Amino acid sequence: MKKITLMSLVFLGLLAGGCKKILDKDSTRVVNEENYWNTLEDARAGIMGVYGLTRAALADNNRYWIYGDVRMGNFDSPIRQDLKAVIANNLTANYPVVEELSNWTRFYAIVNAANLFLERIHEVHDNDARYTDNNMTVDVAQVRFLRAFAYFNLVRIWGDVPFITSSRDGVFENQPKKDGRAILEWIQSEMVSAAADLPYNYSSNDIQQPGQYYNESSSRWNGALVRKLSAFSILAHVAAWQGKYTDVSVYTKFVLDNYSRGGNGYTNTDELCARNGLFYDKKNNQILGFGFIWGHQDASFTGVVEALTLAEPVVNKALPDIFVPKDSILSIFAERNDARFNIDTTGTTHSNRYFTNFQGRYPIFSKIKVMQAGSTDPSFRIFSSTLIVTRLEDITLLRAEALAVLGERTGAIDALNVIRQLRYNVDSKGEATEGNTYQPYSEARSGELIDAIFRERQKELMGEGQHWYDLVRYHKIKQKNPKFLELINNGGIYWPISRSILAQNPQLTQNSYWK
Amino acid sequence: MRIIATMTFLGVLCTTTCSFGNAARSACVSNNFSAMRSFQQQTDASQKDTSTKDTADVGIKPIKKSITAGLESKGNGLDPKKLAIFPAITLQQYLKGESAGLYVQEPSGEPATNQNMFIHGTSQPLLSPRELFQSQPLVILDGVPLTAEHPYAFDIQQYKFERAGTGTNPLSIVNMDNIASIEVLKDVNAVAIYGPKAANGAIVLTTKSATTRRSITFDSYVGMATKSPVTTINGQFENNFRKQFYNKYTGNGSYSDNDVYPLYLSDSLNNAFYGPANWNDLYYKNALVYSANASIAGGTDKANFRFSVGTATNDGVADNTGADRYNTRFLVNMKPISWLTFSAMVNGTRVQRQRNRNVRDRLSQVNYIPDLSSPLPPNKDWYGRYLNEFDKGFDDNKTNSVQGFIKLGLNFKNFNWITTGGVDYNEGYRDIFFARTLMQTTNYASNYYGYNQRSFIDNIASYDWNLDDANKFNFQAGASLQFDEYKYEYAYGYKGSNDFIKLNLLEPDPNKSNYLSPTVFNQNLVYKFLDKTANNLISFNARATYQFKEKYTISAMVRADGSSNQQPTSRWFYSPLVSAAWDIKKDLLENDDTFSTLNLRASAGRLGRYEHFDNYAQGPQYTAFIGFTGNLITPGYNGIATLTRPYTLGSIGYNLDWAYQDQVNLGLDLSFLKGRISASIDGYIKEDKNMLLGVPSGAEYGYSSVIKNGMAIRNSGVDLNISASILPAGQTVTWNAAFNINYNRNELTALPGGLKELSINDRLFKVGEAVDRYWVLKNDGIYNTDDEVPSVGGQKLSYNGIDLKAGDPRWRDLNNDNVIDAKDRVMTGHALPVFAGGFNNDFSYKKWTLSLNFYYNLNRDLVNQEMANRFDFVNREGLNNINSVREITYWEKRGDYGKYPLYNPWSPVAPYQVNQDIFVENASFIKLRTLSLGYDLTEIMKKKSASMKRFYVYGSVNNVFTLTKYTGQDPELADYTGYDTGYGLQIPRTYLLGVKMDF
Repeated sequence: MKKITLMSLVFLGLLAGGCKKILDKDSTRVVNEENYWNTLEDARAGIMGVYGLTRAALADNNRYWIYGDVRMGNFDSPIRQDLKAVIANNLTANYPVVEELSNWTRFYAIVNAANLFLERIHEVHDNDARYTDNNMTVDVAQVRFLRAFAYFNLVRIWGDVPFITSSRDGVFENQPKKDGRAILEWIQSEMVSAAADLPYNYSSNDIQQPGQYYNESSSRWNGALVRKLSAFSILAHVAAWQGKYTDVSVYTKFVLDNYSRGGNGYTNTDELCARNGLFYDKKNNQILGFGFIWGHQDASFTGVVEALTLAEPVVNKALPDIFVPKDSILSIFAERNDARFNIDTTGTTHSNRYFTNFQGRYPIFSKIKVMQAGSTDPSFRIFSSTLIVTRLEDITLLRAEALAVLGERTGAIDALNVIRQLRYNVDSKGEATEGNTYQPYSEARSGELIDAIFRERQKELMGEGQHWYDLVRYHKIKQKNPKFLELINNGGIYWPISRSILAQNPQLTQNSYWK
Repeated sequence: MRIIATMTFLGVLCTTTCSFGNAARSACVSNNFSAMRSFQQQTDASQKDTSTKDTADVGIKPIKKSITAGLESKGNGLDPKKLAIFPAITLQQYLKGESAGLYVQEPSGEPATNQNMFIHGTSQPLLSPRELFQSQPLVILDGVPLTAEHPYAFDIQQYKFERAGTGTNPLSIVNMDNIASIEVLKDVNAVAIYGPKAANGAIVLTTKSATTRRSITFDSYVGMATKSPVTTINGQFENNFRKQFYNKYTGNGSYSDNDVYPLYLSDSLNNAFYGPANWNDLYYKNALVYSANASIAGGTDKANFRFSVGTATNDGVADNTGADRYNTRFLVNMKPISWLTFSAMVNGTRVQRQRNRNVRDRLSQVNYIPDLSSPLPPNKDWYGRYLNEFDKGFDDNKTNSVQGFIKLGLNFKNFNWITTGGVDYNEGYRDIFFARTLMQTTNYASNYYGYNQRSFIDNIASYDWNLDDANKFNFQAGASLQFDEYKYEYAYGYKGSNDFIKLNLLEPDPNKSNYLSPTVFNQNLVYKFLDKTANNLISFNARATYQFKEKYTISAMVRADGSSNQQPTSRWFYSPLVSAAWDIKKDLLENDDTFSTLNLRASAGRLGRYEHFDNYAQGPQYTAFIGFTGNLITPGYNGIATLTRPYTLGSIGYNLDWAYQDQVNLGLDLSFLKGRISASIDGYIKEDKNMLLGVPSGAEYGYSSVIKNGMAIRNSGVDLNISASILPAGQTVTWNAAFNINYNRNELTALPGGLKELSINDRLFKVGEAVDRYWVLKNDGIYNTDDEVPSVGGQKLSYNGIDLKAGDPRWRDLNNDNVIDAKDRVMTGHALPVFAGGFNNDFSYKKWTLSLNFYYNLNRDLVNQEMANRFDFVNREGLNNINSVREITYWEKRGDYGKYPLYNPWSPVAPYQVNQDIFVENASFIKLRTLSLGYDLTEIMKKKSASMKRFYVYGSVNNVFTLTKYTGQDPELADYTGYDTGYGLQIPRTYLLGVKMDF
């Protein structure tokens, strides 16, 4: 009996001693604070996280294209009522996607992750000698850029938004809106300082980023990260959105003067529309892009433009979510000799670069069609096209726009002709002209210069999430369309704030137009 | 020495029963729980059970003290012999409607799928499988607390209809013919001993023990599940249905220039859609159910055993579903010396399940949505072709499950000690191949292997001390360790090179250089997942009970529970329990004839609630998740894994604490008229407090929500069990009636941070209201013209800023602000019944017995989402997402089409949105669940064979009829959310014949 009592005591004692060990159990599913911000790999996971969140925010519910291309844009939708509502600028309609798109949480996740990175990265620097000063400088510049880019999206989409530049972990006090114009100033200055620290390329012995970036070769980083030219290109967009066209001309000039240093060049029409062309994989010519890289198993069923645009006969889906109606195509591509889309006098189309099945009821917008690894197999709708935010042609046309606004007509026409030379170089059957001759801009052919520039943007950047913002800038410049000006003046160019966001933050009020 | 011996034996057990490697083995040797059974009383029902009488003196009995018996409700016990008549394949099916306060949901008649149990209401708002999991009671089989399928696998699933894996109900292992007693424990006095995992109640199953005399049993039934007739429809019907809208709202049969009428309805000569709708010939069929079990027991009082084997087949009537179970069990007891007993048990079960062939479930498994513009045609020939393609692949679901324990019991005069080590392990395998013809020439293969494992060591000591005849004491102390581990390996791939190589997505040979690399499938289209979660629980408890003259009993208990799933600063939770009983009969009415029993019980206590997810313990944290809507499995950025805050899951901070439950119970057991009528009434107030909830906030910091303590939900109510011998034994005809009912009132009593209300996923949670209510707009009909829409100061009544027009619903503007929005939604109905229970009648005449078992739910409502979807065809078909799927049952006429106004389905106000009161329906019902007739042949058979102890034959009909006002399918067929999507398969009417023999 005594023995038993003693034994049980010993046993219980052993149990108690082992308790702490048994109960201290790190999760295999998440990483806690103690095990993070210690090594070079943590820094890499952190910065890639900010990129990943940016891609997730833009791809979520295909919002990059719904914001940019679908809203009052070139496209119509055969059967999706929610997209029809967006096309009609009916943004409080009761559809889940429309409600989701008025929710800004995903953009603030980028901001929060960036803030956290900027606050904590010095810990890695202190703990791991492999993490050099230069590595940190370049990382900080990228993260500052991505944070500013997130705010640029927020301000373009919602106007005035809460402005938060610290992670404030644990206590999330509600913030009121801040004047969007002030935020744009901040964005511009952030991007300018980021641009100063960014290299032209990574792991390419750039003076601002010597050596192998995170021990990976340059092929790993091609086009995947923010570079100096990315920063200047987006700066040009930021300035244009603010109407500061002098700044636009400065930033675009920098890009156009230095693009060869970034390994960039202009993309011909075939390359632009090829399945394994500009949009496939990561490339330097994607001046700012977020990839769904086939080789990294990023290919996706959704969050890529093809999910909205493609259908029979390109992929086996009966109806596209969005398409450009035939009449619109004919009016947009009214000029002849356009390699992107041309139709001869008999009504025959000779190439499928921008549109497939033009004669069908729903022409398929097939400019971007990276199916699987650029295959022609229509049977599996997984896509790996990179979400390209800006490319050299965009910046060239933006320069033309700036110069046109600033009254430098010749410079503007020159810039426009750079693009025309690339695109209007085919005959009536879509075959390349001899000697690559092209049709330069003339007012008689293409209309008033500013209109021609914007029309060219509409064609060139169709399906790249730019059209809506172009439309706003165009109407601000033209000051002619009273209906659109009313939208601009009453905040109708912004999205309403999601009802669930308004419910959780009482300091916010609905954007005036949507009250 | 003894401990070493135990360990050695455990090691042997592990090597023989666990095939899962070192981690599991060490877990086997680690661990806790089951001697806690000790407080259990035998129930009235099982005491009557003659088959257990032989076994009274062998094996290790739970430490059972007569002095605590008065503290426990008499209404807890169920009679397994009666339950075993029902052709069930899961424990939940057996228990449905049998115990007051235990509510069972059977959302589908598909055999061996998951079913939900709620004891005394839900302690969680049922938003997702996560909350559902954390609201389920603990099931304990012979002291082994059983695991369940941990819902962490849902994290990688875009579509959360079914968890990755076999989806087989883990409680389909219970073979009722092996069970000697069942207790459904609801009050804190009874469950506290089982610790924090039993906070939602506990169901304690005790299997039949070994005997000292040879005994053999054989039980079997065979029967047929019959299909219920359905009305089928074809394209003509659907076309006519839609034409109404086109005629009313369009001029030319097209709503807009770019609108398109569905191709499959456009051609009335298309035989596939316009031909005879006879798909049901292939979909519904009568099905076999049978079961056979045999057991043998025997030995001496020094060593004895019981061995049983059984098999059961339970086929569903719809979609070729079914489940097969094979189980075996071995129990051995040894008593080498008078004060030492040793027992070991192994229970092994294999369940194979034939799953449904729903398009939705298949596509959510495949995680890819092909073009859905045309549904499956209603014609048999076409549907047959589809099934044919299905049969080119396979979908194998196998579950192996093992429960085992080793017990060591020391028994001295006043001192008892039991050490138990045991394990519950179940593993599932799902192998899938879908041929390329099934999905637009893309084939799909998937392999899943996962296990859930709980191992434990449990010690309990008890000491009796009788001061004198009047004053008796009992002291108990227990300690236990529990180790839970859940793991899965999962891979799937698309576009295999052909339809012939179907297996082994990954190279299985570790010696090859391409080990675990994709073989026939394109390596960029093969996705691999490995996930694991584990948590540990340490518990100590001590209890003292005092009884005075067998009239007054008082007992007090304290517990300390430490969980690895709590943050380091609050690992331990301490909780008390006090209970008391007063035997009024003995005290005051000794000479009164009215009452034969009158016992008053009361208990009040606190119990920690176990947290099953391991992430909260980590505090602020980082995850590798970098996905977005529609793509949750993005591996990283630029091929590099990322770490970011859990933005979509919700922010987790420091200082999260244990959730706990406070419970007060008051009960009365009484019987009168010489025991002809007995009743137990149990009132309870159970409040689960300080629970975690993701409060939608922190959006400007990127979070979908912030996880906070502070949610509290109170369930209060009454359980009533009455049984009456209306015609008592001794007469030619006897009639025993047993009625049970539970009334439960659910109320949200607090939200984190003092919030008063919160809306999550289209549901409102409001302090003072139940958490199972729907939140809907009031609908008063239709605006036939634009002029009918009221306006204030020239501004038309609008819906979220969109002016209402002709053809839009007449929603009630409750706050009169001229805008219909969330503020005009009201809380209505209950997804869980307010009243539920059963009514069982047993008649006997000579050797005949007749039983009628009724099951009912009252004051329960469903949202008829199936009808809402039907009317909302414009939006459903427009999206081509998982909600656009139409099953073959689309061609079955269900519901009342005349009930709903013909709104303009193209309107941007979404007139057929599901959350409006026209779709909320009363789903109360009463069912005759079993009608059985039996004949006792024992005496006749005894003449032929003297050793025969029992020979009973019976026939029964199950699910005889249902009375309900609900217009959809069977009102039982809805999941925990209360939204009837129409996906439940018929619960069939079953006819069977059975025999029960004991030698």
